Amino acid sequence: MRKRTTKQFVAALIGSAALLLAACGGGDGGSSGGGDGDEGKPVIGGSISVGLEAEATGLRPWEDSCSAPCYTIMTTVFDKLMEGSSEGGYAPFLAESLEPNAELTEWTLKLREGIKFHNGVDVTSQTLVDMFEIQKTGAASAAVITSNGLTSVEVVDDLTVVYKLSKAYASFPADLERAPLGMVFEPAAAAADSEGFSRAPVGTGPFTMQTRDPDNQTVVVKNADYWREDADGNKLPYLDQVTFRPIPDEGTRLDSVASGTVNLAQTLRQATIRDARATAGVTTVEFQGNNTGGGFFNTKKAPYDDVRVRMGLNMANNQEAVIVALGGEGISAAATQWFSPDSPWYSQKAADAYPKYDIAAATAKLKEYIDDPARSDGKPVGSNIAVTLSCPPDPTLIAAMQVVSEGWKATGLVDVELTQFDQATHINNGIQDNTDAHCWRWGGEGDPQAGIAGFLADPAKAVGNFTNWEGESAAVAIAAKEEAGKTIDPAVRKAAFETVMIEMNTNAVTWYSGHTATAFITQPTIKGLTSWTLPSGVRGVGLPGGEGRIWGVWVAAS
Amino acid sequence: MKFLKNPFPAMWRLYRSMPLTVKLGTIWIVAIVFAAIFADFLPLKDPNYQGFIMGESKVNEGPSLKHLLGTDDLSRDLFSRIIYGARVSLTVSFVAVVAGSAIGGFLGALVGYTRGKVEAAVMATVDVILAFPGLVLLLALVTFMQTRSLFVISVIVGFLSIPPYTRVARANSLSISRREFVLAARAIGTPRRTVLFREVIPNVLPSIMAYALVAAAGVIVLEGSLAFLGLSVQPPTPTWGGMINQARKDIKLTLFPVLVPSGAMVFTVLALNTVGDWVRKRGQVRGAAL
Repeated sequence: MRKRTTKQFVAALIGSAALLLAACGGGDGGSSGGGDGDEGKPVIGGSISVGLEAEATGLRPWEDSCSAPCYTIMTTVFDKLMEGSSEGGYAPFLAESLEPNAELTEWTLKLREGIKFHNGVDVTSQTLVDMFEIQKTGAASAAVITSNGLTSVEVVDDLTVVYKLSKAYASFPADLERAPLGMVFEPAAAAADSEGFSRAPVGTGPFTMQTRDPDNQTVVVKNADYWREDADGNKLPYLDQVTFRPIPDEGTRLDSVASGTVNLAQTLRQATIRDARATAGVTTVEFQGNNTGGGFFNTKKAPYDDVRVRMGLNMANNQEAVIVALGGEGISAAATQWFSPDSPWYSQKAADAYPKYDIAAATAKLKEYIDDPARSDGKPVGSNIAVTLSCPPDPTLIAAMQVVSEGWKATGLVDVELTQFDQATHINNGIQDNTDAHCWRWGGEGDPQAGIAGFLADPAKAVGNFTNWEGESAAVAIAAKEEAGKTIDPAVRKAAFETVMIEMNTNAVTWYSGHTATAFITQPTIKGLTSWTLPSGVRGVGLPGGEGRIWGVWVAAS
Repeated sequence: MKFLKNPFPAMWRLYRSMPLTVKLGTIWIVAIVFAAIFADFLPLKDPNYQGFIMGESKVNEGPSLKHLLGTDDLSRDLFSRIIYGARVSLTVSFVAVVAGSAIGGFLGALVGYTRGKVEAAVMATVDVILAFPGLVLLLALVTFMQTRSLFVISVIVGFLSIPPYTRVARANSLSISRREFVLAARAIGTPRRTVLFREVIPNVLPSIMAYALVAAAGVIVLEGSLAFLGLSVQPPTPTWGGMINQARKDIKLTLFPVLVPSGAMVFTVLALNTVGDWVRKRGQVRGAAL
């Protein structure tokens, strides 16, 4: 039971930053427009429509499993306790401060004064305690609480609480940046009618819910009593109204921006970014994040239990061709680890350790295995290796899967069977170890600890570890991961994550395509998508994983 | 029997009696079936060869002498993939037609002639199966089966094809069973089995054949829908629906990879419908003459 719960959390972590496996690839970072440089003076007032790639499953931070569209709506209604900072790490947002004790087992959080929910209720320390009672049983939050070992939230004074954890946990600020634990909701309203709360959520955010018509539109209007101002003293948000419309088809969503049906739209697809770049009258605001596409091997299962096979398959993976198949040519950069080169966690040593594309070397590695009388798959010496590669049935992933497969078959030593399962089944197969070679996506803009903790664990403890990776190298990687969880020293943590990535690369437990660029496609008059700031005045982290912060947006005069 | 001894003159006469649209439809069907069967012997490129990996061709290329219908998003030759893709569509259609006409046709002719409780039971079962939305039932079965080989898809589609054939055959059998020549045969003491096989089934067959052509077109679209949804045979095996599905992500860049399989599907369905209609009309004329 424990294994299942933890693995579900792992899946939630890996999948939470964006639609899991929905796209692979990467980008060259930065914005193509709509967010760089001097955007002029913000214009107060006006309304916009936002095209989302999917309808929000629900708007209860503690309950609903969300992805980028859902979070984009949620951040208009709810404030988070912490937010991502462009300076790295997390900075207080609705919190005024967050301080750990020396052991990292207690985190003291002080709230800002004078904050009120949309229904007029004050936000106090008791609010966080009452929220915790709901979060303990929430479908999204309970798994996070299980993972970080949060045992209680105790009131210190009207605005101060102490989060008590059962273990040292350096990534706790990251948990307060994500919706399940970090978004502040009105606990009395949530407890009174959970389903109703999903339709009419009550937070402290810059907008209040006006109407919610699932699969049609969600309209939020300006919260006139919002607590934040910009650097010039203008009250936030700038816009009077925002309408969110789910437009699942990528092409239709892009066309909707071009035709003015919506003012901006999000995408996590490289091919859509490519098409948007070529579309007149629209601007792409791109974000090169730490999401990395590729796949992993079930190292418990033959022939993937042999590093020669994994290494050979990795060396036969033509990353550049895969990126072309994904439509990411000129957008995506080939990945060598979970972190993109512009991430503070990026490691050149890990990049150097990643197997390079080399068919001859790949063939040699695979031949070693094939000719080994003790080969683990029990097949006769000299017979081809049988590989099953599984991906969800998305057109871009089908294309990528076929290129990967072609690369493996090019060695002449591998027979590949391709299988497709819908995304939910595919994820479940990963959780249940029903895997061979399995498409996946890792990372995100959250603290690396969260994602790595989910991916690597001691199999003996039945925690996480999708790859079932064991042995000396796995132990080194797991120890490094544990070490990173015990400190907030960035240098120590970076070294630990570097060790994890190097060990993973030298043991070829995963293979990569590229980093996943995400984007907002906007009309040229839409400004402020990436220039949003934290209360301290420091710029925020931009548009991580296709999640917009609409409260910083305004419509410039055309 | 004369036809079997020397079929070509009869076939030529039949062909000459066809209207132009039916001739064109027949030519298309024969060509596509021939190409699908003998694809391995034709000078076609490997339908799964991704030339761009080796720098030999580009993705989404337009038509050229090297690639007559251009290339897809993985630089595979579209002409070759269309021909090989026809194998899947035609195989599934063929199995559906054979299963439908053999099992459904016989069952319908039998219960239409014999009537009684067996007829009630068979038709109730048929009605229950037909009450499910076809595509939904197909999706459910395919999802349940997990393995998506050509064999599995063909068997499922074949099974789902039986009920409509049963209805068509029964309706015709009911009508034919009341005709004078059938009553006469029974009146002179001909055994019921002989009447069924000598008088009823041969006269139900033209309707079944006409329906089979039209239904085959429907099966091609059905298989295309499955493939479009990623639930037909697994890639890289080409299927027309799968090709459309995979090309739609690049539709803003180029229309060719979508148009080529769509065109193949449209022409095939149109041809089957046209020929099927013509066969049906000929069957009606024959029926009136009986």
